[in-house]
Amino acid sequence: MTQPAIFFAEVNERQGVFHRRAILLGGFAGLGITALGARLAYLQLFETQRFEKLATSNQFNFKLAPAPRGVIVDRNGAVLAANRPNFRLMVARDKGLDTEATLKTLANFVPLDEARQRRLLRDINTAPKRAPVSVMEDMSWEQFSAINVRAPELPGVSADVGEVRVYPHGGAFAHVIGYVAKVNKEDIDKTPNPDPIMLHPGFRIGKQGVEKALDAELRGRPGAHKVEVDANGREVRHDQDGDIPAVPGQEVQLTLDVDIQNRALEVFGEESGGAVMMDCRTGDILCMTSAPSFDANRFVRGLTGAEYRALAGYERKPLLDKCLSGLYPPGSTFKTMTALAILMAGISPEERVGCGGGMQFGGRFFHCHKRGGHGSQNLNDAIKNSCDTYFYSMSLRVGPDRIAQAARAFGLGQTFDIGIPGQKKGTVPDPAWKKRYFSKNEAQQPWWPGENLSYAIGQGYLQVNCLQLAVMTARLANTDYKALNPRLIKSVGGKEWPRGSDVPDLPFPREYIDRVRAGMAAVTEAGGTAFRASQLGLGDILMAGKTGTAQVRNYDSGGSRGKGGAWGLRDHGLFVAFAPLDVPRYALAVIVQHGMGGSTAAAPRAREIMRTALLKDPELISRIQKPLPMPEIVPDLELDTVPAVSTTQAAE
Amino acid sequence: MTVSALTRPGERDRLIVKLSELDWVFILVLCLIAGAGSLMLFSIAGSSWSPWAAAHLSRFGICLVMMIALAMIDIRVWFALAYPVYGLGLLLLVAVEAVGDVRLGAQRWLSIGGFSFQPSEVMKLGIVLALARLYHGVSAERARLSWWLLVPAAMIGAPVLLVAHQPDLGTAMLIALTGGAIVMLAGLSWKVIGVALAAFLAVIPPFVMFGMHDYQRQRVLTFLDPESDPSGSGYHILQSMIALGSGGLLGKGYGLGSQSQLNFLPEKQTDFIFATLAEEFGFVGCVSVLVLYAAVIFMALRTSYLSHSHFGRLAAAGVTATFTLYVLINGAMVMGLAPVVGVPMPMLSYGGTVMLTVMIGFGLVQSVRVHRYAEVTSGKGSFV
Repeated sequence: MTQPAIFFAEVNERQGVFHRRAILLGGFAGLGITALGARLAYLQLFETQRFEKLATSNQFNFKLAPAPRGVIVDRNGAVLAANRPNFRLMVARDKGLDTEATLKTLANFVPLDEARQRRLLRDINTAPKRAPVSVMEDMSWEQFSAINVRAPELPGVSADVGEVRVYPHGGAFAHVIGYVAKVNKEDIDKTPNPDPIMLHPGFRIGKQGVEKALDAELRGRPGAHKVEVDANGREVRHDQDGDIPAVPGQEVQLTLDVDIQNRALEVFGEESGGAVMMDCRTGDILCMTSAPSFDANRFVRGLTGAEYRALAGYERKPLLDKCLSGLYPPGSTFKTMTALAILMAGISPEERVGCGGGMQFGGRFFHCHKRGGHGSQNLNDAIKNSCDTYFYSMSLRVGPDRIAQAARAFGLGQTFDIGIPGQKKGTVPDPAWKKRYFSKNEAQQPWWPGENLSYAIGQGYLQVNCLQLAVMTARLANTDYKALNPRLIKSVGGKEWPRGSDVPDLPFPREYIDRVRAGMAAVTEAGGTAFRASQLGLGDILMAGKTGTAQVRNYDSGGSRGKGGAWGLRDHGLFVAFAPLDVPRYALAVIVQHGMGGSTAAAPRAREIMRTALLKDPELISRIQKPLPMPEIVPDLELDTVPAVSTTQAAE
Repeated sequence: MTVSALTRPGERDRLIVKLSELDWVFILVLCLIAGAGSLMLFSIAGSSWSPWAAAHLSRFGICLVMMIALAMIDIRVWFALAYPVYGLGLLLLVAVEAVGDVRLGAQRWLSIGGFSFQPSEVMKLGIVLALARLYHGVSAERARLSWWLLVPAAMIGAPVLLVAHQPDLGTAMLIALTGGAIVMLAGLSWKVIGVALAAFLAVIPPFVMFGMHDYQRQRVLTFLDPESDPSGSGYHILQSMIALGSGGLLGKGYGLGSQSQLNFLPEKQTDFIFATLAEEFGFVGCVSVLVLYAAVIFMALRTSYLSHSHFGRLAAAGVTATFTLYVLINGAMVMGLAPVVGVPMPMLSYGGTVMLTVMIGFGLVQSVRVHRYAEVTSGKGSFV
């Protein structure tokens, strides 16, 4: 009641306007805040699920982890390629990190010289931010733990355990199994839909042989780690429960035998060449060795430029697979095929040709390897002595087409589906082939009769690889006269691959093939070209075979006739063989590149490889170790008197 | 009765009376907001007082004391200082144009003796004071519609153009809108308001296309279609909306917001602090804070209602308008309703400059409240 009049005196027009307008301002503010509230309600009450999903996809990342690569084993389960733990050291660059100083610190724990530090620094700086770059692989446990203990003080540094491929037999399987290596740009470019795992620093891709051909099966399916990341992509936490487990790669079983393979590489020593052994009942390849070889483990780690140049530059070509990719004239081993062609031409095997050390034809003298001549030869003698004159003479009557037909039927001039790439077809010539081959040069097209002569002894345009020779021998030796196919991969992931023996018969009368076998048996008998070198010393188990010495150049120019001189000009030594002679089980082809003689370089090696295979065969071992006949039991009368009598009495 | 005490000259000048006349509920609400800010700053630092939470609280404490001290200053002193503050602000803006530091590509900072500050902040207060002072001596008729209106127009235009040229479009807009609000409150004709609004809307598209710097245009365009560039300019808006939306009704829990804790949220301690609050405390937490802001606005506006001097009314309402604009612009930006402009959420966001500006403003508001019965004269006439 004592309120002063001043409240009312103030009321004037300005105040009235202000009050109305102030209410308006308040209304505007209220409206604005209500609008914000409404927007909040929309976002937080109605769109929650959508934004929760977005927040989760922000928060969590799935980090791929390579699956353990499938193991490769031999026919008995011996490990040929496996994985072992690999302690890796990695450095990533990030904002505010001094990579150079980090590397200097690391050099106190692991060997990192100045030059390597510089190279790494460049690599790390060109890599994407926070992408770990491998600084060292295969650290020792001590180095690994030393780094791990200090990891908190070394931002950007991480040490983890990955898996690395290991080939316990080093070089023996290098060409067949191949190796794995880091993925390079071409690998990604030529893959239509590159798997993101290919970009993982720990991932390795098959580069050759089985590792390459069965890469998809061996690779498995990568798993993933669920990790919480911040806005910069840094890992904050690992959610173990959210991990997706990897599916390991499948196991691949090969038909190879680790002992035979190792022995084969061993017997080559410093020589260059290849050896392929097949089971001539099933077609399984038991050994496929190329010498000299290289250590596939070095390729996994990554070769230095100098190492690679040394391997690539060596004249004996360790990187070349001489069983599949190396092509050689088969020389006299091919006379088995010529012999079949002779029989197919209706020529009697008993028909004789006199050998006086060669044959004059077309104004040129074709030498027999025995200058003095072999005298009168029938088919069996000619195979046994490898008489060139007999085959020269017969070739004119047989013609190239029949020879080519036999060669092709026995697997020459073709590739086989053994599951790995790299096979060269070689050449089985005939007039039609020659016409095609020289389509640009008409003068070269006709088939000259003189070519029959060199064709018959496995020279001329004829070129084969070692696997083809082994298939030829296995087909010759197969007791069911089947056109056996080779098989290298026995099973993948427990599923067996088709056998090589489910094939049609050879298109030749059996007695013809028996004739050739008999000839090959004579080769290793007394007087044959490989008598001494092919004695197995395993009792009645004998080996049959055929030697071959292939020229790499024309001797007419004189010189040492390929028996000496520069390595690259010497003759190739070849030997094909099967054993046991009576019931053949193993067929083998050995090529010793520039080894000079089939009987001196190839046959002794073939004998060693063959012995290893035979001695590993339990059935043959029992045949070799024939027990002594049981001595007749003579009853000891004195001791047995009483019961004997009583028995007699009882009987009475 | 305190009200009657204020009406008695002599008694109302006593400090104890003045202190008891402060709006303590208002101060309590400010403390709650600043406390909520510290709570969030503590959370996003990974449950740590440093680097933000402790500094935020101590700054607020200092600013609060300063606000109370400013509230004790007689409204007539504010009145007398109005033009000088505006003049100083204008002078500094000219100076920054000439010798200011270039930071982040914009010329906004002025260094004096190793201490750098933004003159545009002075102008935020200066424009309120100067316009209130100007209108204090002007009749309702002139304020409504007359050629005289060119004077306040020029007073607003000069600083706005200078700030816009720095370029700091956000602050320029804030000053223009604050000035506009005072002119409107003083009784500007609706016709003029309508025409100005229409002209403003008509000018926006050509200005966006031709008058803006590239980064400014980019922000506006991104706002119109945030998905167009989710990893670039649209990133901020999108991440903020994800933080808000994923908070839901009750939030993810204190310290558990993945967006803010894992740094997906940009500028989480300053401009986007409201989004972290929304993520961890959800709709309930957000609405609570918005209610607190509404309370501040209405209490400040009520103070302007109480004032018996036109200067006091306009000054308090002007400060309220500035504060409201801060809240609405920041809120709209965080919620994806406005382009990204560097306007923080007052009291909640970390940052000294804005808190200082706002608290000085509230010091003025409280001064208006404490001195609401004081007679203010322009010296020329007796407009009380």
